[in-house]
Amino acid sequence: ETTLTVANWLPPSHPLVSELIVPMTEQIKEATGGDVVANILPAPLGPPAAHFDFAVNGVADITFGVQGYNPGRFKTTSLVELPFLSDSAEALSVAYWRIFDETLREAGEYDDVKVLAVFSHGPGEVFFKDADPTSPDLMQGTKLRVGGGIVHEIVSALGAVPVEGPSSKSYELLSQGVADGILFPYESVSFFKLIPELPIGVSVPGGLYNTSFYIVMNKAKWESLSPENQAAIDSVTGEALARMAGEMWDRADAAGLAAMEGQTTITPATEEQMAAWTEALQPVFDAKLAEVSETGLDGPAIFEALKAEAAKVDISK
Amino acid sequence: MENWPFGMAVLALMLFLGVPISFALTGVGLVGVAAIIGWTPALSLLGSVFFDNGRDYSLSVLPLFLLMGNFVVQSGIASELYTSAYAWLRHRKGGLATATVVACGAFSSVCGSSMATAATMTRIALPSMRKFGYPDQLSTASIAAGGTLGILIPPSVILVFYGIMAQQDIGKLFLAGLIPGLIGIIGYAMAVRLSLHLRKIDLPTEPKLPLLDRIRALKGTAGAIVLFAFVMGGIYFGVFTPTESAGMGAGGAFLLVVLSGKFTWASFLSVLYDTMKTTAMMFFILFGALTFSNYVNMSGMTGDIQNFLSVFGESRLTFILIILCIYLVLGCVLESLSMIMLTVPVFFPIAAAHGIDLIWFGIFVVMVTEISYITPPIGMNAFVLRSVVPDVKLGTIFSGLLPFVVMDILRIALVTAIPGLVLFLT
Amino acid sequence: MSHPADLRPETTQEAAGMSPPVTSSVEPVASLKALGRGGMVLAALGGLLLTAMMGLTVADVIGRYLFNAPIKGAAEMTEVLLCATIFLGLGAVSLSDDHVVVDLVTDRLPDAIQPYRKFAIGLFSAVVLFVVAWRVWIYAGQIGGYGGTTTNLGIPIAPLGYFCAICAFAGGIITAIVSGIMPVLALFGRRRTDRAQSTHDKSTPEG
Ligand code: NA
Ligand code: NA
Repeated sequence: ETTLTVANWLPPSHPLVSELIVPMTEQIKEATGGDVVANILPAPLGPPAAHFDFAVNGVADITFGVQGYNPGRFKTTSLVELPFLSDSAEALSVAYWRIFDETLREAGEYDDVKVLAVFSHGPGEVFFKDADPTSPDLMQGTKLRVGGGIVHEIVSALGAVPVEGPSSKSYELLSQGVADGILFPYESVSFFKLIPELPIGVSVPGGLYNTSFYIVMNKAKWESLSPENQAAIDSVTGEALARMAGEMWDRADAAGLAAMEGQTTITPATEEQMAAWTEALQPVFDAKLAEVSETGLDGPAIFEALKAEAAKVDISK
Repeated sequence: MENWPFGMAVLALMLFLGVPISFALTGVGLVGVAAIIGWTPALSLLGSVFFDNGRDYSLSVLPLFLLMGNFVVQSGIASELYTSAYAWLRHRKGGLATATVVACGAFSSVCGSSMATAATMTRIALPSMRKFGYPDQLSTASIAAGGTLGILIPPSVILVFYGIMAQQDIGKLFLAGLIPGLIGIIGYAMAVRLSLHLRKIDLPTEPKLPLLDRIRALKGTAGAIVLFAFVMGGIYFGVFTPTESAGMGAGGAFLLVVLSGKFTWASFLSVLYDTMKTTAMMFFILFGALTFSNYVNMSGMTGDIQNFLSVFGESRLTFILIILCIYLVLGCVLESLSMIMLTVPVFFPIAAAHGIDLIWFGIFVVMVTEISYITPPIGMNAFVLRSVVPDVKLGTIFSGLLPFVVMDILRIALVTAIPGLVLFLT
Repeated sequence: MSHPADLRPETTQEAAGMSPPVTSSVEPVASLKALGRGGMVLAALGGLLLTAMMGLTVADVIGRYLFNAPIKGAAEMTEVLLCATIFLGLGAVSLSDDHVVVDLVTDRLPDAIQPYRKFAIGLFSAVVLFVVAWRVWIYAGQIGGYGGTTTNLGIPIAPLGYFCAICAFAGGIITAIVSGIMPVLALFGRRRTDRAQSTHDKSTPEG
């Protein structure tokens, strides 16, 4: 029997842990007939950004996290984080895994680990303390809380003032009026208890951004497993795990949206707004896809393939 | 996996042999982790602990609050506060000692550290109390105890550390500390009266000042009030976040130094040097504590202690009593910051499992830590007093502190009985 | 939190009679005179970092609140400055041997063994710092290997790591010398004086 140590930096009640990581460990145990079991550590070993290297260095056997927490490291990630991609985390995650498996691996960014899954969060929308949701200048000059990476650039391109701060500081920034609004998926608005602060929401077809995640395993540990156990783990990870992750985020977003009922009014973006934003965001698309191409892959072509694949994925399963 | 009792024993031995706390924690933590996951990963985890946590934005409040406190000391605000408090209390029995306690509380609202509060007030209050014939026992005790308010009344370095380790909102923790801090001032004022009564001390009083003169004396508090209002008001009205308030407070305190005409390049540089040194000292203890808590995390100690405590039943009150006793014992022998670092990672998950509000628990932990500053044999505030006035025996200071410790325990009992005293502002 | 060792007695000027009890001015927290040239360089560098950290927050808040123009990357610049301050400050702590210790038992140990105890602890502390320096150096190399940068400004992180590793290494050397070797040297110095003293005593019994 082999025990895999799983590093966790989230509260155990977070859906990413309770509805993805825990079921994943159960499925691995089942698929390997009890040969491979997992032990999820009770407290974080370090900040979230350190978790990819924890898997690389064998500090823990399995880790999960957000590629964007290590700026500069994962150039292919922006493909899945760009705006207007998909309304379904499940469709996008499955498509993302397929494209990753086919081509993105070649960029070499994940060579030091065994990748169990890459997947995407549900679409990011925009929320305000106070705003006219149909105004064509909705974002102009407003202070929007951003973490890092692509959201910073999207907010800037849309004419808003980015207010930087970690997501755990969102409540602090909004409740005290330092920021006027935020870009978040429904799930996060609810998780960080921001609903009472944000009465106005604008839903954007395809989302204003997405967040890419990874679940990876230490390479030496993987290679120490028998070929049978490796095959068994492969059967429950990869596309199956990406799909489970997407479903989990879609459920969490639906729950977040339901929690907003009566407190946050969600208005779909107008056609005029969408046209203006699409135009304003073109430079961000160009820059990000050029960055992907730096890895030797064809950024724009893969982006089109990802969009086409996401439209094809059957999410009725 | 069950080697943690051995690890704890080695740590205790090293601490008692005088190995610096930071290096003892790092060494034991590293070897302990290596025993569980092997040397190569343990060593790479060490690199991550020291380098990643040093780049944590939330932790930037530490040097900046320290800087604010050091600028405040330099600006001379403390002596102005003392003068004002005395104008109101000079006609009362033991008025100077009560004024000392009140001035300590006021100074705590602009200084985040207990030892800095005690050190500052010693230089200002002790010579006056000696001049008026106050026994050393009472005067040193009122300063050492009053100084402990530094970590309860916001801003507070210890609350910042707690907030980071227990993942609690630092702004809320600050607000929660206000009322218990005010209760603390009242309690210590009563302890002064109690000391006079118990030891049958008769002290000279001065004639009561006319109201107008007393109001005029409040002028001296303007600097501190403006700075406190600027920091808390800035947070309240959303001009800046609690995290940013440290930098803004340091900037404001610097402005006070300049306005008070006390700015010199030499003293500016020495304030910065001292802040940098204290920052490094505290962070290396933090890194050590984090290395050690990784070992605790992997060794299964939290679960074992949880099981052990469950023997005493599930009641919240029992749990709090046990924790109080543990802290009182640890507080006797451990330096306060290290005590927080060592215990919070172990206790806060258990407190959460008991359904205890973690903001309340933070204030509780800070109040028991306050006691550790003034109990023998390791009582840092008593040491501060002793290092400034070497002619007073440590035993004298500690015996004078007894009524104050009693008041501390009463305050903890009160806040445990009525948790709303902590939580209603948050 | 100020270390007790920094607090020297200060003479407080007292006012007389009816006037308020104190009119003292408080001296700076630490005196720079004792530091020597190395300390002055450290103080200047660290002062620069801390002033920048404070100024950055003030400028960011004022820019954001009054002009809707916050400083891009203020948070991550603060992080870089914080990290550099911590590791640079290690040198200052080591120079004055101000690492926090529990002196509950050690003060009661016989004086004769104190230098050896300090020697062993000084070397142990230095070894810990050397290991830290080594691992931070390796980690910085790893981050440099994949081109890790800060979030919004894209400042490379690896050079900061190398800087911290060098500081930790220097801190280890200073700790070994100041906390470990100097107490032993002082002991031998004292023995020589004692021997000279006792010879002198024998030859001149009346002294
Ligand atoms: Na305070
Ligand atoms: Na104590």
